[in-house]
Amino acid sequence: MAHATSIQYEPVAEIGGGAYGTVYKARDTESGQFVALKSVRVQTDQNGLPVSTVREVALLRRLEQFDHPNVVRLMDVCATKRSDQETKVTLVFEHVDQDLKTYLERAPAPGLSPERIKDLMKQLLCGLAFLHTNRVMHRDLKPENILVTSQGQVKLADFGLARIYSCHMALTPVVVTLWYRPPEVLLQSSYATPVDIWSTGCIFAEMFRRKPLFCGDSEVDQLGKIFDVVGLPPEEEWPTDVTLSRKNFPPLLPRPITDVVPEINGQGAQLLQKMLTFDPLKRISALNALEHPYFQDEETLTQTKS
Amino acid sequence: MPLEDDLTTAAANGDTARVESLLQTGAQVNGLNRFGRTAVQVMMMGSSSVAQVLLKHGADPNVADPRTGSTPLHDAARTGFLDTVRLLVEYTADPEATDNTNCRPVDVAKDNGHADVVAFLESL
Ligand SMILES: Nc1ncnc2c1ncn2[C@@H]1O[C@H](COP(=O)(O)OP(=O)(O)OP(=O)(O)O)[C@@H](O)[C@H]1O
Ligand SMILES: [Mg+2]
Repeated sequence: MAHATSIQYEPVAEIGGGAYGTVYKARDTESGQFVALKSVRVQTDQNGLPVSTVREVALLRRLEQFDHPNVVRLMDVCATKRSDQETKVTLVFEHVDQDLKTYLERAPAPGLSPERIKDLMKQLLCGLAFLHTNRVMHRDLKPENILVTSQGQVKLADFGLARIYSCHMALTPVVVTLWYRPPEVLLQSSYATPVDIWSTGCIFAEMFRRKPLFCGDSEVDQLGKIFDVVGLPPEEEWPTDVTLSRKNFPPLLPRPITDVVPEINGQGAQLLQKMLTFDPLKRISALNALEHPYFQDEETLTQTKS
Repeated sequence: MPLEDDLTTAAANGDTARVESLLQTGAQVNGLNRFGRTAVQVMMMGSSSVAQVLLKHGADPNVADPRTGSTPLHDAARTGFLDTVRLLVEYTADPEATDNTNCRPVDVAKDNGHADVVAFLESL
């Protein structure tokens, strides 16, 4: 790990702050470009950094070697010793000057074309499939964490730090949006990579709707809004390790997804339904989603054209 | 946190509504944040609506980065956001400004392969 962050990277604005540390937009004075700096304060003992942090950083660096087009570049990692008990670890990421939220807001009425949505979805799922194949889950996918370059290239940001952060998370409660959270997280059941697919489904719907799909203001309200659309799951799918009982919710039947996303085509609706599946084990994976006919018809179309 | 810090954060996050309300509350559009930067210097370059609001409220588009000499027009050109480039020029950003490496915005756009931005800046 290098040491001279403060010299090469000069913060210009704070862009995010969680319980664990702060995110800055900064200037790389060598290249002249903007970068995103994320720092985490880590407790240290006589052996230095905790093994979990070292592992997580090593994993991020290993991912970086693949140079995947749909995740932001990790350009540098710096460690600065604050005291005997504390070290600041700073991750330096490529900065992308537009997020999906802005990109969607910018699109003139009536919104993005179906082809553009398909292309964005394909890139988003490629990035996710890459992370999931390497056993990294994002956990916090939302339009603000999905970046879009001026050339229309999608890049995922803010991934893979979950485990570095997790030990600090509990310290300060932060307000985080519930809108992209899957049922298993809302129910505080155990969860894994399918969480990101649920969030992707919500974002897929939002690309057509130009407004979020499920806007709950508490965990229970969020679940209620979800069941309004996907229906109350059968008793046997309700996780057994949770405190919230299924009986708290009215026995609603699933509605056709096109009720809430009328602009979507048939294949798209089918894929969306597979992403918004209550049971995480039955939810489609990123790799399988990329194989879905929704994405194939474009290729077969261009093949028959040429 | 002083209002100018909030303003630059909102601008960097592309949060147009918050930028507007902070300006209404009395945040200085050309005020420096604690890193010595103004909102238009750090705004999300892809958000032409943030650019529009700031410029309308009198943001000075010709402030250069104290370390690199980069102006907002250099940064918009580097990242390739044509809408923002146009707006900055419309609000009198200097297309001939040079940064500390003696590059103009058009040079930076060229280096980064943004042909549309290059064409626009060359047409001026
Ligand atoms: N590499 C990057 N390039 C540009 N912007 C970024 C980058 N990484 C993060 N951001 C922006 O900064 C914001 C805050 O970053 P980040 O999500 O990492 O912080 P956070 O404190 O975890 O916030 P949240 O909990 O809302 O996700 C993001 O919403 C995103 O828009
Ligand atoms: Mg985050």
